[in-house]
Amino acid sequence: MLVDYELIRRAREGDGPAFNQLVAAYRKRILGTIARTIGRPEDVEDVGQEVFLRLYYSLDQLRSAEVFEPWLYRLTANAAYDYLRKRRRRMESRMADLSEQQVLLADAIAGEKIDRDEGQKKRIREAVDALLDRVSEEDRVLLMLKEVEGLSLKELGEIYHVKENALKVRLFRARQRVLKAFNAARKQASAVGSAR
Amino acid sequence: MDRQNHQMESDDGRLDVLFRAYREACPDLEPSADFMPRLWQTIEVRQGVPAVFGRLARNVATAALALSTLLGLAVTISGSRVAQLPAESYVEVLAEEHNSANLDFEPVRLTAPEQ
Repeated sequence: MLVDYELIRRAREGDGPAFNQLVAAYRKRILGTIARTIGRPEDVEDVGQEVFLRLYYSLDQLRSAEVFEPWLYRLTANAAYDYLRKRRRRMESRMADLSEQQVLLADAIAGEKIDRDEGQKKRIREAVDALLDRVSEEDRVLLMLKEVEGLSLKELGEIYHVKENALKVRLFRARQRVLKAFNAARKQASAVGSAR
Repeated sequence: MDRQNHQMESDDGRLDVLFRAYREACPDLEPSADFMPRLWQTIEVRQGVPAVFGRLARNVATAALALSTLLGLAVTISGSRVAQLPAESYVEVLAEEHNSANLDFEPVRLTAPEQ
């Protein structure tokens, strides 16, 4: 926990300065999670605002200060999910497939064959983002929280309110779907490459 | 079977590397300076909307109360005026007037025609 329970209790009772401290303590972490989950740096602050706005209006529903962090992560996951769903609707008509270059890059990253310098990092972000666009928003958010944010199954269980075994199954299936999308993109890219 | 398992493990490993690379490629973001002011501004705007509706509802309720009081007063006043009117009904008044008007006329005599 980044703050003590007393601060959470005060914020829950409508204490403005306590709420300010709470946001100040968590905003960097939450913005980082959002950035990695949605993959669009330009929209991170807007989604972050939505998370803390939802926090402000739902703090009085928090059962106890002890479950604050899973609660905040749940709000974050929901806001990221809503954003991704809206984005998919917006982009659906002009959704581009993974480019051949992105597939090759993702392949090279997975094979640990490239240097991850600053110039490459942007391309890595774009390639993985494009790959994750091929799976559902639910899969994407779950995988990000587990594989990128490094949350444990216990923590995820508290966020999603499901048992660990059920989570393991969902994670396995989500990984399989990403792999399937990855392999399909590779096949597509190699077919395009050999046609030239 | 072994080959299939090996392939799955290899794919899993590649996916882990991909996620790790993605994690490293995503820098931690510093929130902008206006993050908190923007947040409070949005909270105030959202709180303002129900407040406006609340004020509007209060004004409508006050106006309705004033109107009903005025109507009540009007009914009371008109009721007292009605009480001052003659107790006779319109038909009775008309009949009375008709009687006095009839006095100007000679009663019609029915006589047999002279032979």
